[in-house]
Amino acid sequence: MMEMTGIKRHYEMASGVVKALDGIDLQVKAGERLLLLGPSGSGKTTLLNCIAALDSPTEGTYFFEGNPVPRNAAEQMTTFRRDTIGFVFQNFNLLQDLTVLENVLLIQEIAGVIDEKRARELLILVGLENEIDRFPAEISGGQQQRVAIARSIAKKPKLLLGDELTGSLDSKTSETVMEVLVKACEAENITTVMVTHDESLAKYATRVVRLDSGLILSDNPVEN
Amino acid sequence: MSALLIKRLFRSLWRTKLRLFSVVFMIVIGVFSGISFGSYAITANSLYDVIYADTEEGVNLPDLWVETHSGVWDEANASTLCTNIETSWPDTSLQFKFCEPRLKLDGLTFYQTSSGEEKLVPSVWHGIDEGLVDRVWLPDDECCEGRLASADNEIVLDEHAASGMGFEVGDSISIAAGFGKMDYTIVGIGFHSNHLYFAQEGVLMPADAGTFVTGYMDASGLERLSNYSAGSANLLLIDIEGTPEYDLQSTTAIEGVQLSLISEHIASNISQNNNSAIQVYDRSGVDSVEFLRADAEGAIKSYPYVTGMLGLVAGITIFLSLQRLIQSQAKEIAVLRTLGVRRRSIMPGYVIAPLFIGGVGSLFGVILGYFVGAPAMSEMYEDIIGVPIIETFIPTSLILQNIGIVMVIVFISGIRPAWQAAQMQPLDVFRGQSEIRLSSRTIQRLTAWMPATVSLSVRSSLRKPMRLAFTFFAVGISMLIFGSMILMMGSIDEVVIGGLEERQSWDSQIYISPGGEHEVIQWAEGNDVNYELLLQFPANPKDDSRQIISQGIDEFSTTDNGAMQILVLKEGSTPQISSQTTQVMVDEGTAHFLDWGVGDIQTLEFGSNEVDVEIVGITQGEISRTIYFHRADLVEILDFEATSVLLVLPEGVEIPADLAENTLGIMVKEDIINSFETMMKVQKQFYVAVEGLGTILAVAVLFNTLLMNLAERDTELATLRVLGAPIKSIGLMMLGEHIAIGIIGGILAAIFSIVGTKILIGAMVQWAFFFTVQANWPVFVLIAGVVLGISIALTPFGMWRVWKMNLVDSVKDLSN
Ligand SMILES: Nc1ncnc2c1ncn2[C@@H]1O[C@H](COP(=O)(O)OP(=O)(O)OP(=O)(O)O)[C@@H](O)[C@H]1O
Ligand SMILES: [Mg+2]
Repeated sequence: MMEMTGIKRHYEMASGVVKALDGIDLQVKAGERLLLLGPSGSGKTTLLNCIAALDSPTEGTYFFEGNPVPRNAAEQMTTFRRDTIGFVFQNFNLLQDLTVLENVLLIQEIAGVIDEKRARELLILVGLENEIDRFPAEISGGQQQRVAIARSIAKKPKLLLGDELTGSLDSKTSETVMEVLVKACEAENITTVMVTHDESLAKYATRVVRLDSGLILSDNPVEN
Repeated sequence: MSALLIKRLFRSLWRTKLRLFSVVFMIVIGVFSGISFGSYAITANSLYDVIYADTEEGVNLPDLWVETHSGVWDEANASTLCTNIETSWPDTSLQFKFCEPRLKLDGLTFYQTSSGEEKLVPSVWHGIDEGLVDRVWLPDDECCEGRLASADNEIVLDEHAASGMGFEVGDSISIAAGFGKMDYTIVGIGFHSNHLYFAQEGVLMPADAGTFVTGYMDASGLERLSNYSAGSANLLLIDIEGTPEYDLQSTTAIEGVQLSLISEHIASNISQNNNSAIQVYDRSGVDSVEFLRADAEGAIKSYPYVTGMLGLVAGITIFLSLQRLIQSQAKEIAVLRTLGVRRRSIMPGYVIAPLFIGGVGSLFGVILGYFVGAPAMSEMYEDIIGVPIIETFIPTSLILQNIGIVMVIVFISGIRPAWQAAQMQPLDVFRGQSEIRLSSRTIQRLTAWMPATVSLSVRSSLRKPMRLAFTFFAVGISMLIFGSMILMMGSIDEVVIGGLEERQSWDSQIYISPGGEHEVIQWAEGNDVNYELLLQFPANPKDDSRQIISQGIDEFSTTDNGAMQILVLKEGSTPQISSQTTQVMVDEGTAHFLDWGVGDIQTLEFGSNEVDVEIVGITQGEISRTIYFHRADLVEILDFEATSVLLVLPEGVEIPADLAENTLGIMVKEDIINSFETMMKVQKQFYVAVEGLGTILAVAVLFNTLLMNLAERDTELATLRVLGAPIKSIGLMMLGEHIAIGIIGGILAAIFSIVGTKILIGAMVQWAFFFTVQANWPVFVLIAGVVLGISIALTPFGMWRVWKMNLVDSVKDLSN
């Protein structure tokens, strides 16, 4: 589905060049659930940002479904994200002035595919049938993250990305959220790339990639 | 209190530089305007004190004037009157000093314009005998030169007239005062207290160059011109020891009780012994003196409000900015509090910050006001009034007062946010309760039907109702500054130009001495010229020294039917001739100040002659206090027919010089209109500057709030961007929000500024200067439109802000 070859992301600093990514070759196939693990500063977030077309690599090629992914052009990158990528943040980042349902509808509006029935189905899928008309501040963190998941798959992204998406949750809630995520992605047939520190989340993945110093250290499938 | 905490606060303020600058700017403007305006007021006031003083440099302005409007007194008569006044001086603490008889006559100047055209210019001539009081002012300034007139063919010309018409010392000038044309040599150029504000009698605008002349002769000089016997007088100038208080027309209180007693005493004394219609008045009855005093007084009264109003706009902005700052720093404050920092260490910074902003703004405001504003105001005043400002005063007390006003306002505006910061409960903050305000259910329901993007805009605009309310209030004040100028200009223009052009169909008004109308009528009838007699005479309400002009007119018309004067009837009806009780109409200003209404019977005094009148109607549009009689009714009271003749001159017909020579002057309507337009031109820059100022303030206020609204939603907007919302749809959302704020704010601002202007004008109008503002739709739309325009114009800035947002950084923020 996507293919990166020789991706580098260097930062020119006064103290020298910081090589956040230093030659990454990565292919992801449709339906995979990839987990990016690595110590702090290893380049996980940077890689995820490059995959999302939030950041532009300084070198290397990146194709998505055979097409080159735009770089250094804000609006084309935005369009790519809109059509392709779903995002779940560590801090949920729901819009406080919109209800749970409206948060999902907003993303559909932006993507140009409003479908309230689907929005409701997704919220039921993530187990929030009773919270549909509440405001984000009126539900728990785990519930907010489930809304965020529903929101990010509402527009049927091809690739769902998450950076430390359970980072703000306790381990029990994390499990629930991850289970919901796996269930939803399988139901919707969405490919995911997830960044985490938490080794225990490996059981929810189909493949684990370990990074260090901007390079891929290992790349193994997970047996369930 | 920790220096580090304050340093941190200042760094965070500095991060919002643009907003910081806009607040400092507002304070600069407030202090600057207060100082400029205040200095103008104080300078004008002290200028007149210097001019009127009984000193070497001053002219010794009289304290009382006794004037006859029917003919003149001969020498013996005049000196008997003076002796009588002295010997029968009532027993008060005010001491009689002199009584000087004077002759003052209306007349004409024969003036050849640079294009060779012969013009008859209305003029006033003063014959000055001893000159113990009311001397000619010849300041040691480049404006003036020469000496006083001493021979009977010499004249000192007023500086306004000389500079306006290009006369110089040594030139000869042809003039008349109802007794043929004569030539005089100009020996000096100076000023006179009656004409410092250089306007024709009964006209409020300073006369345009070449439309009015005043000259000051030796007594013998004017006697020669008028063919009166030596020592003739129509005016007694009475000087009292010191400068007694006199009743101000702009107040309802009676300031000069003693002086009023004396003037009543003199009036009744003279009318017992002498049957001529006389009038006794104090300084408030001298148009120029009263007008200039009222103007300076108005400025002195209003400048603290100017500073206060501008300071308030700044204060509100500071208040909102600090609140926003504290909100954005809630987490940090909570962390500090958790770590054990005390409340009283948190608070000072938030109090010191606004004081610091106020201090910096005041500093620049003072510098600008001192070096630019005040001198510019003096210069503009010189331009308009035409009197040289000898010294511009910028007293330290004025500067301190302005700084004081601003500092108090900014201090108050900092108190609440500082207190809020200190009151923050760390746990609430961490739970997110202090930061996130729930959109109310009601608003959610009301907007639920909208697309989510639109309802999001609406809800987030309404998220901070207090902020919006304060913003609208501050925008309202700014637009009041803008709108009041427009409304006032429009109203004055309507009253003056509209009144003259639309409601007065005559083109020349010939002033005549009693009986002089026959010659004019004869000429008019012989030349097919339409004419109408007009009888004008000063009167005052019983036991009230304020002057009303009584006008006797032949035809009362309230519609455009070709009458010389059309009156605007506000209430009631036109008077019936020869009623049991004389019927009259009064203007709305008179009705307003005296609380007179239709149906009232009131007593008027013509000199010492008391007359009861019934008010049957109230008119609108007069700047001066006026009471309309049927001329025949007024003739009964005054015993003479007319004071002037109104003429409509057909194409090509001109008033012949030999007729003009024997009149007391000719007023040309066109000249008055031109005078007004000239004055407006001079003042235009000032008004445009003030309007601009109001607009800039409104921009700064809206900018500040919209920017805060956006900054608050940076995370939201970044989230949307990361999720793939194109800049265009974010721009549309923002535009929608700004249009909503612009429309609501615009309507509120328009209402606010129209109501505010009405209140302002209500407080500003005086006996001698009354008008009302008519709010109209174009102005309403203009004001609302400016606010809407500003609001919309700020959208691109907001979009740019989102555009340049670094998404990678934002995501970093989103993820920890
Ligand atoms: N904007 C930047 N400028 C300079 N260097 C940067 C920038 N962003 C990231 N880096 C550097 O790039 C390297 C990789 O950073 P990245 O955020 O990808 O690490 P990470 O693996 O996500 O770490 P963590 O697990 O702590 O989130 C780090 O050494 C970091 O210092
Ligand atoms: Mg990271």
